[in-house]
Amino acid sequence: MKRHFREFSVTGALLLLLVSLAIFAPNFFEPQPLLSRLTAAAPKLVVACGIALVILSRQIDISVGSLFAVCSLSAGLLAAAKLSLPVAVLASVGLGAVGGALNGALVAVLRLPSIVVTLATMVMWREGLRLAQQGVFVNLPDGVQWFGLPMAAGQGIVCGLALVVLLALAYALRFLAVGRFVYAVGSDAEAARLAGIRPRLVTFGVFILLGALTGLAAVMNLVQSPQVDPSTGRMLELEAIAAVVVGGVAVSGGRGNLWGVLAGFLLLACITPALTYLDVKPYWDKAIQGAVILLAVVADGVRRRKLNR
Amino acid sequence: MFRFLALTLGLGLAMLTGCNKSGPDSAAAPAGGSPAGKRLTVALMPKSKGNAYFVSCKQGAEQAAKDLGVELIFDGPVNPDPAKQNEIIENWITLGVDVIAAACENKDGISTALKKARDKGIKVVTYDSDANPDARDFFVNQATPEGIGNALMDEAARLCGNEGEFAIITASLTAQNMIEWQKFIEARRVAKYPGMKMVALRPCDDLKDKAQAEATTLLSAFPNLKLLMNICSPAVPGAAEAVKQAGKAGKVKVIGLGLPNENRRYVKDGTTDTVILWKTVDLGYLTVQSAVALARGELKPGATSFHGGKLGDFKIAGDNILLGEPFKFTKDNIDQFDF
Amino acid sequence: MSFRFQKTAVLRHETVLLLVLVLEVVFFQLAGRNFGTVDNVANIVRHSVEIGLLALVMMPVILTGGIDLSVGSLLGLCAVLFGKLWRDAGLPWELAALATLGLGALAGGFNAALITGLRLPPLIVTLGTYSLFRGLAEAITHGTDAFTRFPERFLFLGTGRIAGVPTQAWIFVAVGVAVWLLVHRTTFGRSWRAIGFSPEGARYAGLPVTRRLVLAYMLAGLMAALAAITYTARFGTAKADAGTGYELAAITAVVLGGTSIFGGVGSVHGTLLGVAAIAVLTNGLSRVPATMSNAAELSGLLTGALLIVALAGGALPGRIGARRRKEHPPAVGAPVSDPA
Repeated sequence: MKRHFREFSVTGALLLLLVSLAIFAPNFFEPQPLLSRLTAAAPKLVVACGIALVILSRQIDISVGSLFAVCSLSAGLLAAAKLSLPVAVLASVGLGAVGGALNGALVAVLRLPSIVVTLATMVMWREGLRLAQQGVFVNLPDGVQWFGLPMAAGQGIVCGLALVVLLALAYALRFLAVGRFVYAVGSDAEAARLAGIRPRLVTFGVFILLGALTGLAAVMNLVQSPQVDPSTGRMLELEAIAAVVVGGVAVSGGRGNLWGVLAGFLLLACITPALTYLDVKPYWDKAIQGAVILLAVVADGVRRRKLNR
Repeated sequence: MFRFLALTLGLGLAMLTGCNKSGPDSAAAPAGGSPAGKRLTVALMPKSKGNAYFVSCKQGAEQAAKDLGVELIFDGPVNPDPAKQNEIIENWITLGVDVIAAACENKDGISTALKKARDKGIKVVTYDSDANPDARDFFVNQATPEGIGNALMDEAARLCGNEGEFAIITASLTAQNMIEWQKFIEARRVAKYPGMKMVALRPCDDLKDKAQAEATTLLSAFPNLKLLMNICSPAVPGAAEAVKQAGKAGKVKVIGLGLPNENRRYVKDGTTDTVILWKTVDLGYLTVQSAVALARGELKPGATSFHGGKLGDFKIAGDNILLGEPFKFTKDNIDQFDF
Repeated sequence: MSFRFQKTAVLRHETVLLLVLVLEVVFFQLAGRNFGTVDNVANIVRHSVEIGLLALVMMPVILTGGIDLSVGSLLGLCAVLFGKLWRDAGLPWELAALATLGLGALAGGFNAALITGLRLPPLIVTLGTYSLFRGLAEAITHGTDAFTRFPERFLFLGTGRIAGVPTQAWIFVAVGVAVWLLVHRTTFGRSWRAIGFSPEGARYAGLPVTRRLVLAYMLAGLMAALAAITYTARFGTAKADAGTGYELAAITAVVLGGTSIFGGVGSVHGTLLGVAAIAVLTNGLSRVPATMSNAAELSGLLTGALLIVALAGGALPGRIGARRRKEHPPAVGAPVSDPA
């Protein structure tokens, strides 16, 4: 309990929110909108998990939103050109991995600071996309939405994919050597190197993984409607980073787990719809979102200070 | 440090001599009313770049520029920063364009820059959304905020049988022209349709995916909702998809301002009832036509009609060149349009 | 690695940047239309004041190894507060401006209190206030209220000229000189640098780490308020969306100017060069016939490329700073010191 105070407190806050919604706005739990909302959130969760890995290894990536848009559009254009869906999926994941590898190479090989590298690639992907596509929607052919299956099945696949990614990463982080490497590099890369780990390889790998997950998330988002909006993914990086830090992953690396990330993610993802259900005026959205982020970290800070005394 | 200072000073001097050299040049090149023989330069500003609506305006504008043999510049902010529009206009003034055509994000803000342009002899027209009247020569009027507000509210009331709950999805709370539309929507509602009730307003950040999520939530949070009114273009298909997924197609009506290509599928399957817009390609074409005519002195204040090239004649009311009434895209006519 | 070498390395980065700037100027003078005119130079200066002010104070924050993502949102909040104080509370604009500066500093102090008092990571605290400040601006105005029709005397700040130079440029120069002196000629600057190198070391050396950090963040808040005032005076309208995205522009300029994002290394003149290089690029691209219609997108694209090239250039062998050699660089915006 002491070690996982943050995860417990965020989970507690989430439960509190859900309980009060159950009392004041039971409609929140209507199955159809709830499932829709979960499906819509699933791709973002996948990105957040990837970001969590990057932050655990003491790096950061703010280019995912732009990369997400590039992957969505590429997959969409391929699908619209009547290529088979698996090709589009592979292209999206592959392109994501290449984008991640670019970041990773600059960070791990040239040893540039990740926040600056990804700040640059964020702008470059986004503006390149704007030059190429100018904001025109891509209409997808039939058979792409929900992978050509009935809606319920499609939603099941999207949510299932997110769950698989979450569980696989959580398992790897906890039980596999590579997972422990991420923590080791994030806690103290020099010590990790002396222990025989190759920190730069780990960093490189984590960025590639995040890129590939971003590409996967782009597909998971793409199949939820018959069109691609090239502006998609704007601010996705902030949503994902906020979820990760609220979930208790330390920006200084090496500390945190995906359980916390899931709780933080769900908490933040529930707030905006909750405000609609509770009939709060929309101009409070951002202030409340900010206050929740601050409260989560402040609570943790206060507690740590008490413990240190 | 001293080396650095010396370098900076050197650079400063170099720039100053550069200024002195080119100063007279720029004074010689007249900002407005270019001499015969020189190609006219028309600068066209969208509210934001990477926006399909303005891309289709640009198509028409390019056609007009080709027909008239003028140079066309198309630039605007990439993100919703209204001050950026002023910066670009101020840059166009010093660039020496002959005429500026702007779609204004923030009426009061941009008027300062447009007035400055007019002081330098540059002709100014506005299109899509107007500036203050003293900041431009003509407004190419595809619809006033009042016209848009009334059209949306009338259509909503018609579809709901004059009573019931509806919700609005907007781009952002701060988008100036959407604020104006909401004002007129509300005024119309109060005046003519007291049975209609606006239960919620939600921003979607101009993103289709977010609009879809907002619509999903609205449908369940307000179970008596009869209609979703979408006043930014990505929200129309987003809301329609949400209604469809909720199995409420036909029960909850969807209307909004949007492009035919983005909404064709939903209009044809009956999820979206009406999409209101104008012929955006024509808007771009007419804007450049009138801008050039103004710069060449063929269009003067007080004119009552204007010949817009291949599009024929347009009426002028005061200083508004009228493109015509907003157009309603429905199941029956949407296939005639491709933009 | 001696301190001396660090200093020359920094100088070299700035010399390279200066070269880039000169190349830009020469190129746009040759290829662009009416680029080097007095009016256009005035435009470039006028348009870069807000980002420039934010960059000037972002620099000390980054120098301490911190970051402030909230300055753009705070600009929006301050613009709204200024409008509220002037129009609704009926204060004369001079007084409203002063009060706004105070409130801005206070907001910066709020960031600082969380960062130093609770030892929270600046990245997270300011990510929270990034959302909070913008949210408050929207809540106060309901997003829709806009403040306009300011008195001419006030608008002169943003649109007028004194001795041929845009009014706000004088403010910018004054702030620039003050920050330069603060960073390079006082013990404040030295302690910011020391904190950036090693917060624990700075503490053991007896530096008032907390007070120095509070100063840096309050300065950032103060300058966000000042930028809000020049923004409002230039644009003539104050609304909740003012300054959206300016934090990233400021950070870009600072980093392009050679300040290490990990703290400890950097210079104010480098930051100014970074601001200038981006401003000239943005302006110049809109004057070259081939790029006129894609200027907005290309300037973003090229700024990103410039940023990577500038950093990669610095990372080439022989240019690697002492801290880069270590396998374990400090995390960006991490807590001032990690509690055990």
